[in-house]
Amino acid sequence: MSFLDWATGLHGYLFVGTILATLGIIAVVYRRNSIGVLLGIELLLNAASINFIAFSKFRTAAIDGQIFALFIIIIAAAEAAVALAIILRLYRLRETIDAGEANLMRN
Amino acid sequence: MNGEIVQNLKLLSPELVLVFFLVVLFTVDSIWEQTRKNFVPLAVVFAACLLGTVATCWVSKTAPTVFFSGLVANDNFSAFFRYVFLFSCAAGMYLAFGSKELEKQNRMEFALLIVCVTFGMSLMAISTHLLMLYIGIETVSILSFVMAGFKSEDLRASEASFKYFIFGAFASALMLYGFSLLYGLTGSLQYGEIAQYVQANLGNMPYLLPLSLILVYSGLAYKISAFPMHFWTPDVYEGAPTPVASFFSVAPKAAGLAAILRFFLDILSYDAASGSWKAIGGEQLVSVVAVLSAITMTVGNLSAIGQNSVKRMLAYSSIAHVGYMLMGILTLDTFGLGAILFYIIAYCAMNFGAFWVVSIVADLKGSDRLDAFRGLGWSMPILGVTMVIFLASLAGIPMFSGFIGKMLIFGAIVKTPGLLWLAVLGVLNSVVSLYYYAKILRELWLEGREPGTASELSIYHGVALVGLAIPTVVLGLWFAPVIHFVERSIATIL
Repeated sequence: MSFLDWATGLHGYLFVGTILATLGIIAVVYRRNSIGVLLGIELLLNAASINFIAFSKFRTAAIDGQIFALFIIIIAAAEAAVALAIILRLYRLRETIDAGEANLMRN
Repeated sequence: MNGEIVQNLKLLSPELVLVFFLVVLFTVDSIWEQTRKNFVPLAVVFAACLLGTVATCWVSKTAPTVFFSGLVANDNFSAFFRYVFLFSCAAGMYLAFGSKELEKQNRMEFALLIVCVTFGMSLMAISTHLLMLYIGIETVSILSFVMAGFKSEDLRASEASFKYFIFGAFASALMLYGFSLLYGLTGSLQYGEIAQYVQANLGNMPYLLPLSLILVYSGLAYKISAFPMHFWTPDVYEGAPTPVASFFSVAPKAAGLAAILRFFLDILSYDAASGSWKAIGGEQLVSVVAVLSAITMTVGNLSAIGQNSVKRMLAYSSIAHVGYMLMGILTLDTFGLGAILFYIIAYCAMNFGAFWVVSIVADLKGSDRLDAFRGLGWSMPILGVTMVIFLASLAGIPMFSGFIGKMLIFGAIVKTPGLLWLAVLGVLNSVVSLYYYAKILRELWLEGREPGTASELSIYHGVALVGLAIPTVVLGLWFAPVIHFVERSIATIL
């Protein structure tokens, strides 16, 4: 099997998906900037979408995985809208979007 | 085909009622602006909940079916959770309406959010399909972020909604990744088909199946705030407005439990005959869940002890209660799983009641610290007495519903071989919880009156407190019919 076959087959897609998911988790855990965290979450969602589409194409004949990916895109947009609104308000109130600074309530 | 769709829509009527009233709320809000400040939002939400209950009653009479090509199920289990959600929606709206923490002109927005969240929770409880479950969870999550930050100029509320968002979005993204792996493994999104595939290919998926289940669990555990996804709970409950926190502590948790029960009982193909999990290594799975529930309740109770903010204390106590409920899953029979549902009913009334008292005190004194409660039992006896009932029930003292709930769960656990230690730990945890609940009671009654704090309980709140205290007492004494009801509800998904 040539590299091209591997890269355009199921494994190629899964490979990309896994890398995206890993990068997303790393971003959520290590990023202190709220926007960075949000981007990490988006990466994770996209990784799941790629998995769904790849599985739908190579694993089953049905298109339900691709429909799922469409729903993920819609919901991710809604989530990003709410998230940006929350971050914006936090910025207005305290002039920073550093996630580590959100420590008003702690025991 | 058309007839089938109409038939299916009929079975979905409780959710359709909620959607209809969402449209009503939008319309009323945009036509008559003055309704934002008066009683209309409350009346519309009450009408929605009432009609939704009637519709639930009506559809629960039909035979259990999975409809809309396997997306959702209508059975007694769905009906049970629909009742719980509609009740919490009405109670949450009533509390928010009377609370000073939410501004008057925002009542309409709050009504919209709470009805829509209730719709999402309903979807979570009835879904038998991964896509449907995901949509339900996201409907609840995204709107919950907004509700947590409802006090727009308040820094703590903003921070609460921010934390809720970070944890929530991360957990549901992980869950989604788990869904995609599960889909790849089994080639289907429908619970029944996934279960069939899993059963036919036992042992062929040694790593990916457990991995995907762990990811899915992490997403659902966030919803019920079980270990290891419980960190957000105290901060969010403390920062969010008290009516919102009280709603969060009851309704989304019930929804999460419903989703967990349906998902894991279906997919891991619970086998009623041998009373064990057929899918992946039964023994290991039981010990994993046992350890998770043990950690959840112990962490919740031990962290609650040192708290000075009553809201934060109740947040930790709600984590502990989830730990008790998770224990019920281990028993794998109608009795133990039914006990979870009984616990949900009891928890709904008593936890709402306890948060309600905190909300009243927070409105009165502007603080939810322990010392804000000092002597209030004497100046507001109804509040004092009902708080004794709620806290005694939460601690699991006999005569109250919480005791029956705990007794049912612990009784079921004792009968399960090898899990006696968990029951003992549960009882020890109840003793610990008694200590911090008693601290609130001491402030209420035993620390004497603070001079110059003459205050009266309004009838509006008095009615609600008594209304929540009655089921808490009655369920502790007259529980047999309710046990019968919950066992019938759980039997449909086993």
